[in-house]
Amino acid sequence: MNSSIVVEDLHFAYNKGEEVLKGISLVFDRRSTAIIGQNGAGKTTFAKLLKGLLKPDSGSISIKGIDTKNTTAAGLSRHIGLIFQNPNDQIFKSNVLDEVMFGPLNIMKEEKRARDLALGALEKVGLVNELEQNPYDLTLSQRKLIAIASVLAMDTEIVIFDEPTIAQDHRGKEMIKGIIRELVGMGKLVLTIMHDMDFVAETFERTIVFSQGQVALDGSTREVFTQEELLKKAGLERPHVTRLGAKLGCSHTFLTAEEFVSFAKKSDHRGG
Amino acid sequence: METLSLYVDRDSPVHRVDPISKLLYILAATAIPIILPSLLTAAVVLAISVALLLLGRTFRRVIPLISVIVFVLLTILIIQGLFRAGNVTPLFQLGSLIFYREGLLYAVRISLRVINIMLAFAILILTTKPSDLFETLVRKGLSPRIGYVLSSVLQIIPQMQNTVGTITDAQRSRGMETEGSLAVRLRAFIPLIGPVVMSSLTQTRERSIALEVRGFSAKGKKSFLNEEIQEPYHRFIRWGLLLSIILALVWRVAA
Ligand SMILES: Nc1ncnc2c1ncn2[C@@H]1O[C@H](COP(=O)(O)OP(=O)(O)OP(=O)(O)O)[C@@H](O)[C@H]1O
Ligand SMILES: [Mg+2]
Repeated sequence: MNSSIVVEDLHFAYNKGEEVLKGISLVFDRRSTAIIGQNGAGKTTFAKLLKGLLKPDSGSISIKGIDTKNTTAAGLSRHIGLIFQNPNDQIFKSNVLDEVMFGPLNIMKEEKRARDLALGALEKVGLVNELEQNPYDLTLSQRKLIAIASVLAMDTEIVIFDEPTIAQDHRGKEMIKGIIRELVGMGKLVLTIMHDMDFVAETFERTIVFSQGQVALDGSTREVFTQEELLKKAGLERPHVTRLGAKLGCSHTFLTAEEFVSFAKKSDHRGG
Repeated sequence: METLSLYVDRDSPVHRVDPISKLLYILAATAIPIILPSLLTAAVVLAISVALLLLGRTFRRVIPLISVIVFVLLTILIIQGLFRAGNVTPLFQLGSLIFYREGLLYAVRISLRVINIMLAFAILILTTKPSDLFETLVRKGLSPRIGYVLSSVLQIIPQMQNTVGTITDAQRSRGMETEGSLAVRLRAFIPLIGPVVMSSLTQTRERSIALEVRGFSAKGKKSFLNEEIQEPYHRFIRWGLLLSIILALVWRVAA
Protein backbone atom coordinates (compact mmCIF):
# COMPACT_ATOMS: atom_id res chain seq x y z
CA MET A 1 0.00 0.00 0.00
CA ASN A 2 1.41 3.35 -0.98
CA SER A 3 -1.14 5.68 0.54
CA SER A 4 1.50 8.21 1.41
CA ILE A 5 1.29 8.73 5.18
CA VAL A 6 -0.32 6.43 7.71
CA VAL A 7 0.02 7.20 11.41
CA GLU A 8 -1.22 4.69 13.96
CA ASP A 9 -1.64 5.35 17.66
CA LEU A 10 1.46 7.50 17.83
CA HIS A 11 2.92 8.34 21.23
CA PHE A 12 5.96 10.45 21.85
CA ALA A 13 7.71 12.14 24.79
CA TYR A 14 10.92 14.18 24.90
CA ASN A 15 11.27 13.56 28.62
CA LYS A 16 9.98 10.45 30.31
CA GLY A 17 6.56 10.97 31.81
CA GLU A 18 5.72 14.11 29.82
CA GLU A 19 3.96 12.84 26.73
CA VAL A 20 3.81 15.45 24.01
CA LEU A 21 1.81 13.30 21.58
CA LYS A 22 -0.80 11.09 23.18
CA GLY A 23 -2.12 8.62 20.67
CA ILE A 24 -2.51 10.09 17.20
CA SER A 25 -3.98 8.12 14.33
CA LEU A 26 -4.29 9.78 10.94
CA VAL A 27 -4.20 8.92 7.27
CA PHE A 28 -3.15 11.61 4.85
CA ASP A 29 -4.41 11.69 1.30
CA ARG A 30 -3.90 14.11 -1.56
CA ARG A 31 -6.18 16.78 -0.12
CA SER A 32 -4.17 19.83 0.85
CA THR A 33 -4.14 19.76 4.62
CA ALA A 34 -3.59 22.27 7.39
CA ILE A 35 -2.66 21.39 10.95
CA ILE A 36 -3.65 24.03 13.47
CA GLY A 37 -3.39 24.20 17.24
CA GLN A 38 -2.19 26.29 20.15
CA ASN A 39 1.48 26.90 20.90
CA GLY A 40 2.89 23.75 22.40
CA ALA A 41 0.14 21.50 21.05
CA GLY A 42 2.76 19.25 19.49
CA LYS A 43 2.54 20.22 15.82
CA THR A 44 6.26 20.66 15.20
CA THR A 45 7.00 17.49 17.12
CA PHE A 46 4.53 15.64 14.91
CA ALA A 47 6.19 17.01 11.77
CA LYS A 48 9.63 15.90 12.98
CA LEU A 49 8.27 12.43 13.64
CA LEU A 50 6.85 12.21 10.13
CA LYS A 51 10.18 13.34 8.78
CA GLY A 52 12.00 10.63 10.73
CA LEU A 53 14.05 13.10 12.78
CA LEU A 54 12.35 11.72 15.89
CA LYS A 55 11.18 8.14 16.32
CA PRO A 56 7.86 7.12 17.91
CA ASP A 57 7.92 5.81 21.49
CA SER A 58 5.04 3.58 20.50
CA GLY A 59 2.68 3.29 17.57
CA SER A 60 3.90 3.63 14.02
CA ILE A 61 4.38 5.98 11.12
CA SER A 62 4.58 4.77 7.58
CA ILE A 63 5.74 7.01 4.76
CA LYS A 64 4.87 5.53 1.38
CA GLY A 65 4.86 2.10 2.96
CA ILE A 66 8.17 2.58 4.77
CA ASP A 67 8.08 2.41 8.57
CA THR A 68 10.11 5.38 9.82
CA LYS A 69 11.58 3.16 12.53
CA ASN A 70 13.33 1.03 9.94
CA THR A 71 15.10 3.76 8.07
CA THR A 72 17.11 6.92 8.59
CA ALA A 73 15.93 10.48 8.16
CA ALA A 74 18.40 10.76 5.29
CA GLY A 75 16.88 7.69 3.64
CA LEU A 76 13.40 9.21 3.91
CA SER A 77 14.49 12.56 2.60
CA ARG A 78 13.90 11.69 -1.04
CA HIS A 79 10.23 11.10 -0.25
CA ILE A 80 9.41 13.73 2.32
CA GLY A 81 10.62 17.30 2.73
CA LEU A 82 10.16 19.47 5.81
CA ILE A 83 10.55 23.22 5.96
CA PHE A 84 11.57 23.97 9.53
CA GLN A 85 9.60 26.41 11.62
CA ASN A 86 12.76 28.37 12.36
CA PRO A 87 14.85 28.89 9.21
CA ASN A 88 17.93 29.50 11.37
CA ASP A 89 17.73 25.85 12.41
CA GLN A 90 17.70 24.75 8.80
CA ILE A 91 20.29 26.93 7.12
CA PHE A 92 23.94 26.05 7.61
CA LYS A 93 25.77 26.91 4.40
CA SER A 94 27.42 30.23 3.82
CA ASN A 95 25.86 31.05 0.48
CA VAL A 96 22.35 30.81 -0.83
CA LEU A 97 23.02 28.60 -3.83
CA ASP A 98 25.04 26.04 -1.83
CA GLU A 99 22.30 25.92 0.75
CA VAL A 100 19.59 25.19 -1.79
CA MET A 101 21.76 22.72 -3.73
CA PHE A 102 22.66 20.72 -0.63
CA GLY A 103 19.51 18.56 -0.68
CA PRO A 104 19.35 17.75 -4.39
CA LEU A 105 23.08 17.03 -4.46
CA ASN A 106 22.67 14.49 -1.69
CA ILE A 107 19.79 12.63 -3.27
CA MET A 108 20.78 12.66 -6.91
CA LYS A 109 24.54 13.12 -6.89
CA GLU A 110 24.47 14.93 -10.18
CA GLU A 111 25.72 18.47 -10.02
CA LYS A 112 24.17 19.85 -13.17
CA ARG A 113 20.69 18.58 -12.35
CA ALA A 114 20.98 19.65 -8.69
CA ARG A 115 21.96 23.13 -9.81
CA ASP A 116 19.00 23.37 -12.19
CA LEU A 117 16.58 22.25 -9.49
CA ALA A 118 18.07 24.74 -7.03
CA LEU A 119 17.85 27.60 -9.50
CA GLY A 120 14.26 26.66 -10.34
CA ALA A 121 13.31 26.68 -6.68
CA LEU A 122 15.03 30.00 -6.02
CA GLU A 123 13.21 31.45 -9.01
CA LYS A 124 9.90 30.40 -7.44
CA VAL A 125 10.63 32.27 -4.21
CA GLY A 126 12.09 35.26 -5.99
CA LEU A 127 15.66 34.93 -4.79
CA VAL A 128 17.60 34.12 -7.98
CA ASN A 129 19.45 37.38 -7.67
CA GLU A 130 20.90 36.54 -4.26
CA LEU A 131 22.81 33.37 -5.18
CA GLU A 132 26.15 34.45 -3.76
CA GLN A 133 24.81 36.11 -0.62
CA ASN A 134 25.42 34.72 2.84
CA PRO A 135 21.97 33.73 4.14
CA TYR A 136 22.78 35.39 7.46
CA ASP A 137 23.14 38.75 5.72
CA LEU A 138 19.57 38.46 4.47
CA THR A 139 16.41 39.17 6.43
CA LEU A 140 14.42 36.60 8.38
CA SER A 141 11.67 36.58 5.76
CA GLN A 142 14.24 35.93 3.04
CA ARG A 143 15.84 33.17 5.10
CA LYS A 144 12.45 31.53 5.44
CA LEU A 145 12.13 31.65 1.65
CA ILE A 146 15.58 30.07 1.29
CA ALA A 147 14.44 27.31 3.63
CA ILE A 148 11.38 26.80 1.44
CA ALA A 149 13.44 26.78 -1.74
CA SER A 150 15.92 24.28 -0.38
CA VAL A 151 13.13 21.79 0.24
CA LEU A 152 11.29 22.51 -3.02
CA ALA A 153 14.55 21.83 -4.87
CA MET A 154 14.47 18.25 -3.65
CA ASP A 155 11.21 17.70 -5.51
CA THR A 156 9.78 15.31 -2.93
CA GLU A 157 6.33 13.79 -3.18
CA ILE A 158 5.44 14.92 0.31
CA VAL A 159 6.11 18.47 1.50
CA ILE A 160 5.52 19.67 5.05
CA PHE A 161 5.58 23.40 5.78
CA ASP A 162 5.99 24.41 9.41
CA GLU A 163 4.67 27.97 9.64
CA PRO A 164 5.63 29.02 6.09
CA THR A 165 4.28 32.55 6.43
CA ILE A 166 6.52 33.52 9.36
CA ALA A 167 7.66 37.14 8.91
CA GLN A 168 6.08 37.42 5.45
CA ASP A 169 4.24 40.47 4.20
CA HIS A 170 1.13 40.25 2.04
CA ARG A 171 3.11 39.64 -1.13
CA GLY A 172 5.16 36.92 0.51
CA LYS A 173 2.03 35.22 1.78
CA GLU A 174 0.42 35.29 -1.64
CA MET A 175 3.58 33.83 -3.15
CA ILE A 176 3.60 31.00 -0.62
CA LYS A 177 -0.08 30.38 -1.22
CA GLY A 178 0.74 30.12 -4.92
CA ILE A 179 3.54 27.66 -4.26
CA ILE A 180 1.32 25.46 -2.11
CA ARG A 181 -1.40 25.44 -4.76
CA GLU A 182 1.11 24.58 -7.44
CA LEU A 183 2.49 21.67 -5.41
CA VAL A 184 -1.03 20.37 -4.81
CA GLY A 185 -1.74 20.78 -8.51
CA MET A 186 1.29 18.61 -9.27
CA GLY A 187 -0.32 15.85 -7.18
CA LYS A 188 2.00 16.20 -4.20
CA LEU A 189 0.89 15.67 -0.64
CA VAL A 190 1.17 19.02 1.14
CA LEU A 191 0.83 19.42 4.89
CA THR A 192 1.02 22.85 6.45
CA ILE A 193 1.25 23.83 10.08
CA MET A 194 -0.24 27.29 10.57
CA HIS A 195 -1.45 29.88 13.00
CA ASP A 196 -2.93 32.17 10.37
CA MET A 197 -6.57 31.08 10.25
CA ASP A 198 -7.49 33.31 7.32
CA PHE A 199 -4.73 31.72 5.27
CA VAL A 200 -5.89 28.24 6.30
CA ALA A 201 -9.48 28.97 5.35
CA GLU A 202 -8.48 30.31 1.95
CA THR A 203 -5.98 27.62 1.07
CA PHE A 204 -6.65 24.16 2.44
CA GLU A 205 -9.31 21.55 1.82
CA ARG A 206 -8.78 19.61 5.01
CA THR A 207 -7.98 20.93 8.48
CA ILE A 208 -6.78 19.00 11.50
CA VAL A 209 -6.86 20.53 14.97
CA PHE A 210 -4.23 19.48 17.50
CA SER A 211 -4.90 20.07 21.13
CA GLN A 212 -2.59 18.94 23.89
CA GLY A 213 -1.06 16.17 21.89
CA GLN A 214 -4.27 14.80 20.46
CA VAL A 215 -6.41 15.30 17.39
CA ALA A 216 -9.36 17.39 18.54
CA LEU A 217 -10.98 17.86 15.13
CA ASP A 218 -10.43 16.54 11.65
CA GLY A 219 -12.50 17.26 8.57
CA SER A 220 -13.02 19.54 5.62
CA THR A 221 -11.90 23.05 6.44
CA ARG A 222 -15.47 24.29 6.35
CA GLU A 223 -16.71 21.59 8.73
CA VAL A 224 -13.88 22.31 11.13
CA PHE A 225 -14.45 26.05 11.17
CA THR A 226 -18.13 25.47 11.84
CA GLN A 227 -17.28 23.93 15.22
CA GLU A 228 -16.95 27.15 17.16
CA GLU A 229 -17.16 25.58 20.61
CA LEU A 230 -14.63 22.83 20.00
CA LEU A 231 -12.22 25.31 18.43
CA LYS A 232 -12.53 27.58 21.43
CA LYS A 233 -11.77 24.63 23.66
CA ALA A 234 -8.62 24.01 21.64
CA GLY A 235 -7.70 27.67 22.16
CA LEU A 236 -8.30 28.73 18.56
CA GLU A 237 -10.24 31.50 16.92
CA ARG A 238 -12.08 31.21 13.62
CA PRO A 239 -11.09 33.18 10.52
CA HIS A 240 -12.15 36.81 10.48
CA VAL A 241 -14.69 36.43 7.72
CA THR A 242 -16.21 33.37 9.39
CA ARG A 243 -16.68 35.32 12.60
CA LEU A 244 -18.11 38.24 10.70
CA GLY A 245 -20.69 36.01 9.04
CA ALA A 246 -21.59 34.42 12.37
CA LYS A 247 -21.94 37.82 14.05
CA LEU A 248 -24.33 38.88 11.28
CA GLY A 249 -26.40 35.83 12.02
CA CYS A 250 -25.75 33.84 8.81
CA SER A 251 -26.01 30.10 9.18
CA HIS A 252 -23.44 29.55 6.42
CA THR A 253 -19.77 29.20 7.39
CA PHE A 254 -17.79 31.56 5.17
CA LEU A 255 -14.18 30.78 4.46
CA THR A 256 -13.13 33.59 2.16
CA ALA A 257 -13.96 37.22 1.65
CA GLU A 258 -15.14 36.39 -1.87
CA GLU A 259 -17.70 33.92 -0.58
CA PHE A 260 -18.99 36.49 1.81
CA VAL A 261 -19.18 39.22 -0.80
CA SER A 262 -21.10 37.13 -3.29
CA PHE A 263 -23.46 36.04 -0.52
CA ALA A 264 -23.98 39.64 0.57
CA LYS A 265 -24.64 40.73 -2.99
CA LYS A 266 -27.19 37.99 -3.48
CA SER A 267 -29.13 38.85 -0.35
CA ASP A 268 -28.93 42.50 -1.37
CA HIS A 269 -30.69 41.63 -4.62
CA ARG A 270 -33.30 39.68 -2.78
CA GLY A 271 -33.79 42.41 -0.24
CA GLY A 272 -33.98 45.30 -2.69
CA MET B 1 20.21 28.27 30.54
CA GLU B 2 21.65 24.84 30.24
CA THR B 3 25.12 24.58 31.72
CA LEU B 4 27.68 21.89 31.97
CA SER B 5 27.62 21.36 35.67
CA LEU B 6 27.28 18.60 38.19
CA TYR B 7 25.18 20.74 40.47
CA VAL B 8 22.39 18.75 42.09
CA ASP B 9 19.39 20.92 42.80
CA ARG B 10 18.25 20.04 46.33
CA ASP B 11 17.21 21.94 49.36
CA SER B 12 19.57 20.98 52.16
CA PRO B 13 21.54 22.70 54.91
CA VAL B 14 24.71 22.10 52.89
CA HIS B 15 23.19 23.80 49.84
CA ARG B 16 22.35 26.83 51.93
CA VAL B 17 25.92 27.35 53.11
CA ASP B 18 27.67 30.10 51.14
CA PRO B 19 30.31 29.28 48.48
CA ILE B 20 33.15 30.99 50.38
CA SER B 21 32.67 28.68 53.34
CA LYS B 22 32.79 25.71 50.98
CA LEU B 23 35.99 27.02 49.42
CA LEU B 24 37.43 27.38 52.91
CA TYR B 25 36.35 23.83 53.63
CA ILE B 26 38.40 22.65 50.64
CA LEU B 27 41.37 24.53 52.05
CA ALA B 28 40.89 23.01 55.50
CA ALA B 29 40.28 19.48 54.23
CA THR B 30 43.48 19.72 52.20
CA ALA B 31 45.69 21.51 54.71
CA ILE B 32 44.83 19.87 58.00
CA PRO B 33 45.76 16.29 57.03
CA ILE B 34 49.06 17.65 55.68
CA ILE B 35 49.77 19.67 58.79
CA LEU B 36 48.87 16.78 61.06
CA PRO B 37 49.90 13.77 59.00
CA SER B 38 48.42 11.06 61.22
CA LEU B 39 45.97 8.62 59.73
CA LEU B 40 43.46 9.60 62.36
CA THR B 41 43.21 13.22 61.12
CA ALA B 42 42.70 12.05 57.57
CA ALA B 43 40.03 9.60 58.69
CA VAL B 44 38.21 12.29 60.68
CA VAL B 45 38.21 14.67 57.71
CA LEU B 46 36.99 11.85 55.50
CA ALA B 47 34.15 11.10 57.90
CA ILE B 48 33.14 14.78 57.97
CA SER B 49 33.13 15.05 54.18
CA VAL B 50 31.03 11.93 53.79
CA ALA B 51 28.65 13.20 56.45
CA LEU B 52 28.31 16.54 54.62
CA LEU B 53 27.64 14.78 51.32
CA LEU B 54 25.01 12.62 52.96
CA LEU B 55 23.47 15.68 54.60
CA GLY B 56 23.39 17.41 51.22
CA ARG B 57 21.70 14.30 49.76
CA THR B 58 24.27 14.16 47.00
CA PHE B 59 26.30 11.19 48.15
CA ARG B 60 25.03 8.96 45.37
CA ARG B 61 26.48 11.34 42.79
CA VAL B 62 30.02 10.89 44.12
CA ILE B 63 29.94 7.11 44.01
CA PRO B 64 31.08 6.94 40.36
CA LEU B 65 33.83 9.45 41.16
CA ILE B 66 34.91 7.47 44.18
CA SER B 67 34.99 4.22 42.28
CA VAL B 68 37.33 5.69 39.67
CA ILE B 69 39.60 7.10 42.38
CA VAL B 70 39.58 3.84 44.32
CA PHE B 71 40.66 2.01 41.21
CA VAL B 72 43.60 4.36 40.67
CA LEU B 73 44.54 4.30 44.33
CA LEU B 74 44.45 0.51 44.44
CA THR B 75 47.22 0.44 41.87
CA ILE B 76 49.22 2.88 44.02
CA LEU B 77 48.58 0.69 47.04
CA ILE B 78 49.84 -2.42 45.28
CA ILE B 79 52.92 -0.79 43.81
CA GLN B 80 53.91 1.01 47.00
CA GLY B 81 53.10 -2.03 49.15
CA LEU B 82 55.37 -4.18 47.05
CA PHE B 83 58.20 -1.93 45.92
CA ARG B 84 58.50 1.21 48.06
CA ALA B 85 62.16 1.99 48.84
CA GLY B 86 61.81 2.02 52.65
CA ASN B 87 59.95 -1.29 52.83
CA VAL B 88 61.35 -3.44 55.67
CA THR B 89 58.51 -4.93 57.73
CA PRO B 90 56.63 -7.61 55.80
CA LEU B 91 52.92 -7.50 56.60
CA PHE B 92 51.41 -10.34 54.61
CA GLN B 93 52.10 -12.48 51.63
CA LEU B 94 50.01 -13.21 48.55
CA GLY B 95 51.59 -16.12 46.69
CA SER B 96 55.15 -15.05 46.09
CA LEU B 97 54.35 -11.34 46.53
CA ILE B 98 55.28 -9.79 49.87
CA PHE B 99 53.42 -6.64 50.96
CA TYR B 100 55.28 -4.32 53.31
CA ARG B 101 53.86 -2.26 56.12
CA GLU B 102 55.75 0.99 55.32
CA GLY B 103 54.70 1.07 51.68
CA LEU B 104 51.09 0.26 52.46
CA LEU B 105 50.86 2.92 55.16
CA TYR B 106 52.36 5.46 52.83
CA ALA B 107 49.91 4.53 50.09
CA VAL B 108 46.96 4.71 52.46
CA ARG B 109 48.02 8.16 53.61
CA ILE B 110 48.38 9.42 50.04
CA SER B 111 45.07 7.86 49.05
CA LEU B 112 43.22 9.39 51.95
CA ARG B 113 44.63 12.78 51.07
CA VAL B 114 43.52 12.48 47.45
CA ILE B 115 40.08 11.26 48.44
CA ASN B 116 39.73 14.06 50.96
CA ILE B 117 40.57 16.73 48.43
CA MET B 118 38.25 15.20 45.86
CA LEU B 119 35.36 14.93 48.28
CA ALA B 120 35.82 18.50 49.49
CA PHE B 121 35.69 19.68 45.89
CA ALA B 122 32.68 17.44 45.30
CA ILE B 123 30.85 19.17 48.16
CA LEU B 124 31.45 22.54 46.55
CA ILE B 125 30.60 21.43 43.04
CA LEU B 126 27.58 19.27 43.78
CA THR B 127 25.87 21.66 46.16
CA THR B 128 26.68 25.06 44.64
CA LYS B 129 25.15 26.50 41.53
CA PRO B 130 28.07 27.60 39.30
CA SER B 131 26.47 30.99 38.77
CA ASP B 132 26.24 31.52 42.54
CA LEU B 133 29.87 30.60 42.94
CA PHE B 134 31.01 33.04 40.26
CA GLU B 135 28.75 35.76 41.56
CA THR B 136 30.23 35.39 45.03
CA LEU B 137 33.75 35.49 43.65
CA VAL B 138 33.00 38.63 41.66
CA ARG B 139 31.53 40.16 44.80
CA LYS B 140 34.78 39.35 46.55
CA GLY B 141 36.75 41.24 43.92
CA LEU B 142 37.22 38.85 41.01
CA SER B 143 36.98 40.81 37.75
CA PRO B 144 33.50 40.47 36.24
CA ARG B 145 35.13 39.66 32.92
CA ILE B 146 36.85 36.62 34.34
CA GLY B 147 33.68 35.66 36.16
CA TYR B 148 31.82 35.86 32.88
CA VAL B 149 34.43 33.84 31.02
CA LEU B 150 34.31 31.14 33.69
CA SER B 151 30.56 30.87 33.57
CA SER B 152 30.44 30.87 29.78
CA VAL B 153 32.97 28.07 29.59
CA LEU B 154 30.42 25.95 31.42
CA GLN B 155 27.74 26.93 28.94
CA ILE B 156 29.76 26.52 25.80
CA ILE B 157 29.81 22.75 25.67
CA PRO B 158 26.08 22.13 26.06
CA GLN B 159 25.51 24.99 23.66
CA MET B 160 27.80 23.41 21.09
CA GLN B 161 26.08 20.09 21.57
CA ASN B 162 22.78 21.82 20.82
CA THR B 163 24.22 23.44 17.74
CA VAL B 164 25.61 20.13 16.53
CA GLY B 165 22.20 18.53 17.06
CA THR B 166 20.43 21.26 15.16
CA ILE B 167 22.81 21.19 12.22
CA THR B 168 22.80 17.41 12.08
CA ASP B 169 19.01 17.51 11.87
CA ALA B 170 19.22 20.04 9.07
CA GLN B 171 21.70 17.84 7.20
CA ARG B 172 19.93 14.53 7.54
CA SER B 173 16.65 16.23 6.68
CA ARG B 174 18.16 16.89 3.33
CA GLY B 175 19.61 13.55 2.56
CA MET B 176 22.98 13.39 4.25
CA GLU B 177 23.53 10.15 6.13
CA THR B 178 24.63 10.86 9.68
CA GLU B 179 23.37 7.75 11.44
CA GLY B 180 24.77 4.25 11.38
CA SER B 181 28.30 2.96 11.19
CA LEU B 182 31.33 4.76 12.55
CA ALA B 183 32.56 5.49 9.03
CA VAL B 184 29.27 7.19 8.14
CA ARG B 185 29.35 9.25 11.30
CA LEU B 186 32.95 10.25 10.76
CA ARG B 187 32.18 11.32 7.23
CA ALA B 188 29.24 13.35 8.56
CA PHE B 189 31.42 14.98 11.18
CA ILE B 190 33.73 16.88 8.86
CA PRO B 191 31.05 18.94 7.10
CA LEU B 192 29.78 19.83 10.59
CA ILE B 193 32.90 21.69 11.66
CA GLY B 194 32.44 24.72 9.43
CA PRO B 195 28.80 25.40 10.31
CA VAL B 196 29.34 24.77 14.03
CA VAL B 197 32.25 27.19 14.19
CA MET B 198 30.35 29.73 12.11
CA SER B 199 27.28 29.45 14.25
CA SER B 200 29.33 29.71 17.45
CA LEU B 201 30.91 32.89 16.13
CA THR B 202 27.52 34.33 15.27
CA GLN B 203 26.22 33.43 18.70
CA THR B 204 29.24 35.03 20.31
CA ARG B 205 28.75 38.22 18.36
CA GLU B 206 25.08 38.35 19.27
CA ARG B 207 25.89 37.71 22.87
CA SER B 208 28.52 40.40 23.03
CA ILE B 209 26.08 42.88 21.53
CA ALA B 210 23.50 41.84 24.10
CA LEU B 211 26.04 42.30 26.89
CA GLU B 212 27.16 45.71 25.69
CA VAL B 213 23.60 46.90 25.27
CA ARG B 214 23.15 46.14 28.95
CA GLY B 215 26.26 48.03 29.93
CA PHE B 216 28.59 45.13 30.65
CA SER B 217 31.75 47.18 30.24
CA ALA B 218 30.34 50.30 31.83
CA LYS B 219 32.61 51.87 34.42
CA GLY B 220 31.44 52.17 37.97
CA LYS B 221 30.19 49.89 40.66
CA LYS B 222 27.95 47.09 39.51
CA SER B 223 25.00 45.78 41.38
CA PHE B 224 24.13 42.10 41.54
CA LEU B 225 21.06 40.23 40.47
CA ASN B 226 20.74 38.35 43.73
CA GLU B 227 20.89 39.78 47.20
CA GLU B 228 23.91 38.56 49.03
CA ILE B 229 22.65 36.18 51.65
CA GLN B 230 24.51 36.87 54.86
CA GLU B 231 23.40 34.50 57.55
CA PRO B 232 25.15 34.95 60.88
CA TYR B 233 26.08 31.29 60.89
CA HIS B 234 28.02 31.68 57.60
CA ARG B 235 30.54 33.81 59.42
CA PHE B 236 30.60 31.27 62.21
CA ILE B 237 31.41 28.47 59.76
CA ARG B 238 34.16 30.47 58.05
CA TRP B 239 35.85 31.41 61.30
CA GLY B 240 35.45 27.88 62.57
CA LEU B 241 37.23 26.53 59.52
CA LEU B 242 40.05 29.07 59.70
CA LEU B 243 40.40 28.47 63.40
CA SER B 244 40.68 24.72 62.93
CA ILE B 245 43.52 25.23 60.43
CA ILE B 246 45.29 27.52 62.89
CA LEU B 247 44.73 25.08 65.72
CA ALA B 248 46.22 22.30 63.62
CA LEU B 249 49.29 24.47 63.01
CA VAL B 250 49.64 25.29 66.70
CA TRP B 251 49.28 21.63 67.59
CA ARG B 252 51.94 20.71 65.08
CA VAL B 253 54.39 23.29 66.39
CA ALA B 254 53.70 22.54 70.04
CA ALA B 255 53.89 18.76 69.74
N1 LIG C 1 13.59 19.48 22.13
C1 LIG C 1 12.63 19.46 23.08
N2 LIG C 1 12.87 18.96 24.30
C2 LIG C 1 11.93 18.93 25.25
N3 LIG C 1 10.68 19.39 25.08
C3 LIG C 1 10.36 19.90 23.89
C4 LIG C 1 11.32 19.98 22.82
N4 LIG C 1 10.71 20.53 21.75
C5 LIG C 1 9.46 20.81 22.13
N5 LIG C 1 9.23 20.43 23.41
C6 LIG C 1 7.95 20.55 24.15
O1 LIG C 1 6.98 19.77 23.48
C7 LIG C 1 5.73 20.44 23.44
C8 LIG C 1 5.23 20.55 22.01
O2 LIG C 1 6.14 21.38 21.29
P1 LIG C 1 5.98 21.66 19.74
O3 LIG C 1 7.15 22.45 19.32
O4 LIG C 1 5.73 20.38 19.03
O5 LIG C 1 4.66 22.56 19.72
P2 LIG C 1 4.01 23.33 18.51
O6 LIG C 1 2.61 22.84 18.42
O7 LIG C 1 4.84 23.22 17.29
O8 LIG C 1 4.00 24.83 19.05
P3 LIG C 1 4.20 26.21 18.25
O9 LIG C 1 2.86 26.58 17.72
O10 LIG C 1 4.63 27.16 19.31
O11 LIG C 1 5.23 26.00 17.20
C9 LIG C 1 5.94 21.77 24.13
O12 LIG C 1 5.47 21.67 25.45
C10 LIG C 1 7.43 21.98 24.12
O13 LIG C 1 7.84 22.67 25.24
MG1 LIG D 1 5.93 24.52 16.20
